[in-house]
Amino acid sequence: MPELIKVRPTKIELVKLKRRLSLSQRVQKIVKDRLSILTMEFLQTARDTVEAKRKLLDESAKLYKALSVAAGYHGYIALEKELIATEVDLKVTAGLGNIAGVRIPSFELMGNVKPMKGYNLVDTSSWLDRAAQLSEESLRAIVELAELQRNFELLAMEINRTKRITNALEYIVIPGLQVTIKYLNMKFEERDREEKARLKRVKVMVARE
Amino acid sequence: MPNPLQHEAAQSPHEKMLQDCLRGELRIVNTGLPQSQKRLSNLLDEKYPNVVCNDGSTHFFKRSELEYLASMIDTDEQKALPLPMLIELGANQAEASIICEGKVEEKVISKALNMPVTCEERRIRIYKPQLALLRRKFKTTTVYVFSPKTVA
Repeated sequence: MPELIKVRPTKIELVKLKRRLSLSQRVQKIVKDRLSILTMEFLQTARDTVEAKRKLLDESAKLYKALSVAAGYHGYIALEKELIATEVDLKVTAGLGNIAGVRIPSFELMGNVKPMKGYNLVDTSSWLDRAAQLSEESLRAIVELAELQRNFELLAMEINRTKRITNALEYIVIPGLQVTIKYLNMKFEERDREEKARLKRVKVMVARE
Repeated sequence: MPNPLQHEAAQSPHEKMLQDCLRGELRIVNTGLPQSQKRLSNLLDEKYPNVVCNDGSTHFFKRSELEYLASMIDTDEQKALPLPMLIELGANQAEASIICEGKVEEKVISKALNMPVTCEERRIRIYKPQLALLRRKFKTTTVYVFSPKTVA
């Protein structure tokens, strides 16, 4: 049951309350629009996250398999010797984006990432090439998943905050104002009726005299 | 004669709080709006493609998205396409409209959605499911606009 707001029962207060109500309804409209957009983005991000996670797991499984076969073929020491010279620094561009007022991070791998390229192609097998290719794809999947998971968390937090505002407006502020307006209207009608009844009595008394 | 109810000093604390809330929400939702849009061709030339937002922060574009957009249109159209594209949310929650300058946006959107779209009064109207599809393809090259006119 919404609570009555304590105001003086005057016409000026009624006008103020009506203005407050229209303002609250406008705020509610904005917040609801925003909430619907955030929810849509959140669901999309959730779907993308699941997909990216599955992709990463698949790629990693394939990568470890290819690396194991390559290690078995060349031997650990030879493989390590080949790969030691192939280390490269990864360049990830990090920036910020914005979804309906939520600042979200955005990551992107710069250029063509060749994490394992640079080894001698003559001395190595095609299994190592395959592992190199898969490691590249895994790296892309990791960066993509990092971005999606952070977006997922940030959107969830913002949805919670926005929902609290929507609920406060929908269940407390607006019903409170509506009830108070209704109460004031009834009070004024009651006053009018009392006034009329009083006037009638006065009229009768005047007529008797 | 000014209405005393409209006067700032005459407002109750409750009313002020609501007004602040409305202003705050409008400010929050529109912080991501760019101060000015940049052309696709210019963004492709930049090392770190970005635009400056209203709050002074930068909005970063993914190069892969820009390249995808560039693959859809020819060089002249790339010079005409302003980015980020602005998605305006209408009073009707079921649809949104993309603010467009010319035919380039129309071409890009119709190719991305794989359906014909028309530009009327500088707006391309799309429905929510299409909006989700569009946002999935152009995450960094589109931004939402919450207009107070449509809200009022």
